Amino acid sequence: MFQYAMRRILISVPILLVVLTLVFVVVRVLPGDPAVAALGDQASKEAVDALRAKMGLNDPLWLQYLKFLGSLCRGDLGTSIISGFPVAAQIASVVPFTLELTFLAVFLGYLFGIPLGISAAVRRNSFVDYFNRVFSLLGLSVPAFYLGILLILVFSVKLRIFPVVGGGEFWDLEDNLTHVALPALALGMMMTAYVTRMTRSSILDIMREDYVRTAHSKGLSDRKILYKHVLRNALIPIVALGGLYVVVLIGSSVMVEIVFSRPGLGKLLVGAIKQRDYTTLQSVMVFYAFLVVAFNLITELAYGLVDPRIKYN
Amino acid sequence: MKRLAHVLLVSVFMIGLLWGLAGAADPAKDQSLSIAFDAGDLKSLDPHRAAATADRAIVDMMFNALVRYPPGNQVKLEPDLAESWTVSADKKTWTFKLRKGVFFHPYAGNPNGYELTSEDVVFSLKRAANKDTSAYAGDYGGISVDAVDPATVKITIDKPISDPLFLAKFANYAGGFIVSKKALESKGEDWFKTNPVGTGPFKFESYEPRQKVVFAANPKYFRGAPVLKKVTARFMPDVSSREFGLQTGELHIIEGLKEDKWIEKVSTFKEVKAPTFGPCETQMLYFNMSIPPFNDLRVRKAFSYALSRDVIANFMGKSLAVPIYSPALSPPALGALTKDEALKAGLVFDNNIELAKKLLAEAGFPNGFKTEVIISEMSSSYQKPMVAIQALVRKAGIDMQLKVVDHASFHSKIRENASPIVYYASWRPNEDVFLTQFYHSDSVVQKGKKPITNFSHYGLVDANGDGKVDSVDPLIEQARLELNAAKQEALWKEAQIQILKDVVAVPVIRLKYTFPQKSYVDLGYPLEWSWQTYSPQITEKTKILAHK
Amino acid sequence: MWLAFLRNRTAIAGAAIAVLIFMTAIFAPWIAPYDPLDQDPIFRLEPGNQEHWLGTDDFGRDVLSRLIWGSRISLVIGFASVLIGMIAGTALGMIAGYYRGRVETLIMRGIDVVMSFPDLILAVAITAALGATLVNLVITLGIVMTPGFARMAHSALLSMREREFVLAAQSIGARDRRIIFKHIFPNIFGELLVAATLWVGVAIRLEANLAFIGLGVQPPTPTWGNMIREGVDVLINAPGISVYSGLCILVTILAFNMLGDGVRDMVDPRLRGI
Repeated sequence: MFQYAMRRILISVPILLVVLTLVFVVVRVLPGDPAVAALGDQASKEAVDALRAKMGLNDPLWLQYLKFLGSLCRGDLGTSIISGFPVAAQIASVVPFTLELTFLAVFLGYLFGIPLGISAAVRRNSFVDYFNRVFSLLGLSVPAFYLGILLILVFSVKLRIFPVVGGGEFWDLEDNLTHVALPALALGMMMTAYVTRMTRSSILDIMREDYVRTAHSKGLSDRKILYKHVLRNALIPIVALGGLYVVVLIGSSVMVEIVFSRPGLGKLLVGAIKQRDYTTLQSVMVFYAFLVVAFNLITELAYGLVDPRIKYN
Repeated sequence: MKRLAHVLLVSVFMIGLLWGLAGAADPAKDQSLSIAFDAGDLKSLDPHRAAATADRAIVDMMFNALVRYPPGNQVKLEPDLAESWTVSADKKTWTFKLRKGVFFHPYAGNPNGYELTSEDVVFSLKRAANKDTSAYAGDYGGISVDAVDPATVKITIDKPISDPLFLAKFANYAGGFIVSKKALESKGEDWFKTNPVGTGPFKFESYEPRQKVVFAANPKYFRGAPVLKKVTARFMPDVSSREFGLQTGELHIIEGLKEDKWIEKVSTFKEVKAPTFGPCETQMLYFNMSIPPFNDLRVRKAFSYALSRDVIANFMGKSLAVPIYSPALSPPALGALTKDEALKAGLVFDNNIELAKKLLAEAGFPNGFKTEVIISEMSSSYQKPMVAIQALVRKAGIDMQLKVVDHASFHSKIRENASPIVYYASWRPNEDVFLTQFYHSDSVVQKGKKPITNFSHYGLVDANGDGKVDSVDPLIEQARLELNAAKQEALWKEAQIQILKDVVAVPVIRLKYTFPQKSYVDLGYPLEWSWQTYSPQITEKTKILAHK
Repeated sequence: MWLAFLRNRTAIAGAAIAVLIFMTAIFAPWIAPYDPLDQDPIFRLEPGNQEHWLGTDDFGRDVLSRLIWGSRISLVIGFASVLIGMIAGTALGMIAGYYRGRVETLIMRGIDVVMSFPDLILAVAITAALGATLVNLVITLGIVMTPGFARMAHSALLSMREREFVLAAQSIGARDRRIIFKHIFPNIFGELLVAATLWVGVAIRLEANLAFIGLGVQPPTPTWGNMIREGVDVLINAPGISVYSGLCILVTILAFNMLGDGVRDMVDPRLRGI
């Protein structure tokens, strides 16, 4: 298994390299001039040219590309060409917020989704099942930012329970949790919908398996079968797939971060696009790719751990 | 299982609720103020580079200049770091006496700060004049700065200019800010970019990209220690988020929309007021005379007649928009052409569709024409007025297509001479700067010696069809060197009249701004004008009053 | 098979709503009471009244008319991008799965590269680079949809190629193209159709997200995504705009999800009722 993991990591290297090149190209294709964006409309042509030179934008593209790769190899993500702040520090300061939000949302998804899914599967075609289906379809259909705004209107503006601005102090537990509650709920709704559907269909699938029928014919009680055979086999893969959900939610967290003015990777990315901040933009994109590849690998390994049928070779 | 889930669900919610209800401190005691700007992020903490509204407001809290525009009423200048000054008879040599007891903020390596001397002033102004370190280097050509003694600075200028123009270069705006020489010399430019050291009422504490800048009070501020202990400037580009924050009281002051109905509504929030202030921005429509059919005076005049300032001003909202008649800065700026003067000169082309159609027919477009204009996505300064203009000129047969691009692309495109009409919202410190940047031939985009924002190509093309190149360059230059303020204003007005005659641009409206605020925030001064930060200044006197 | 579909009440409801939205989009010019671009500087941000049922927006445009016209863009984006993704993805996946070897490695690694980004992040980056126009948005979302279809087609084909009927076709000397189109494609089509129906909803939601960030189809073109964005900006004056456009998006996605569930039951009876 260790060997397999190493091999997978090695395979990821060329992929990441292509990703880097792609990111570099996409970033340069962006219309607009970062120097003009940085200096504003009153700056003279000279000042703009001087800044362009300073930003390294007058170098030939291949040189910029090599510089980009070179510094990445040294683990240097560069400094923002707009504000001059190190990109690595910018990412480091927001990543905890994004990961906290996504993990909490995944957690909420499991917390609500699994019981809902089980109850729907157990009472198939009952009112509970019907309600659950509608609820989970709604969860899949409502855009996260829309839900976020509704939550703000109810819980912050009307009821004044939760704050709406920013992410609070990360290491101040109270401040942190009050700030993350609504965003996590907005994302968690989506996650709940996924998990509910998955749980329900997974349980129904397993109920049809031969060994469950055998258990029935042995005369075991429904309850016992459910807990001993079905749930175990149905839920473990769902939980192991958590990593994939994290990937999906890391992407969707952008919207929630914007609505709640919360620090995060997504906000960093969108801001960098608006400012034509090439260095920040390309590093954030690369970091996203890294996260996705890493979480995919973790998922794959976790899935293998719980499903003995999968062999690594 | 189901019961367990219910218990968990309910308990999570209860914990959340209690947590939310628990935190309630006394805000007036904290004296911690939050202000939110309509910006995605900071662009620069360096006063010699700051250009965006949020950036200017932020550096304004940290830095001072030799002279300053008094907060809230920025028409006349008053002493700041300089306590007095004298000028030689030939207006070439200015001597500034520095205030005593001004201290720089503490910084790593100098934990107590140090007292400002003429060295710092000389260093700062030289830095402002260097194009590698300043975006405003162009303002300081032909100027040299010397330290006479630690408390005296001598500034000489090759070609003397009038007092208001001279002093404006050393005011708390753009290149005039004084930075710490010792910090910059010992730590370097890169360090300074993220660790600004100034003399202002608030000192830089921390910066979170795309989130906020936090300031702490500077107890040694020479006008007295600030009442506020902490100021947080947030970057929140979504107006709805800012509104929410203002409603919940998490934000005290927010950058508003330039939209009268919005202002009306915000004012109905609990404990919120939304005063407007000027001058903020003139919105002007520049014809690009290098692109047909706008090389034809009749077409431009027809276009002007097709507009109606009153309709546009109404559309934008009466509490915010003021029709303007000067092609440069409008009153109360010194030397701005007033409505009466423009009317008297017969140079107000407005709201006459019949005449517009007639002129178009004369110019060879009896059925009108079609043109595609690039505009910025920004709503109130670009899209909204242009959409109104689009509807108005359609009645004259002009089919103006709007190509909306994001703001950064807009700035690039118009500088590449890609749009036949440029709608541009701006304000400049004085008529000289405005006229130079928008109408002097040196400033013509792409073709000028120092291309900036002369989109019309005025000064390089024949504007009125008499076969000769038309230009206000001599008037602008003559006015710049005119030492008598009254004569200078007369020259500026003459230039504006010629620009109106040649229909280079259509003055449309001046748009005021609003920063709605909690009514329990006292800025410490009446806010009427703000043409150097475009936002309420947070000063040492600003405070949060006791409230529920 | 069809009977299964007809018995599924949710699927029927979904289909009915989808058809209604389609009709609205097709007949927009006749249904809409006003030109969606017509501005009225005087009656701006009006609440609903007799002349403007759902009120007017920031520019005095009729909200109802804009919603009706907006259905066109949303549907075009939803369908065109899924179609692009489905055609490109299926082709790539099938080529990779059928020929194996280097071709497969190349294609599937390429797919891995594209999948190294979360959907929305990829969409944001590409739209920003290409510029936000309707065509570019469709292309962008098409690219985002491609890897999913490619992987699905690929794995379906792999499991299929060892089946008896394919081997039989090969043994009697049928050409590759014939085998793919005659024997393999019809067998995986059902699965692709299910995914496509569900992903129309995903595409519409992505468009709304992009519009919210400011990377949607540029104004003044009415799209539901744009209208939410504009509506949120004037939330306190005209809360209706964002509520109505949000509901339109919600109902449309809901309809396609319901429909997708139903189609799946129809295609794969084993999973009925799941």
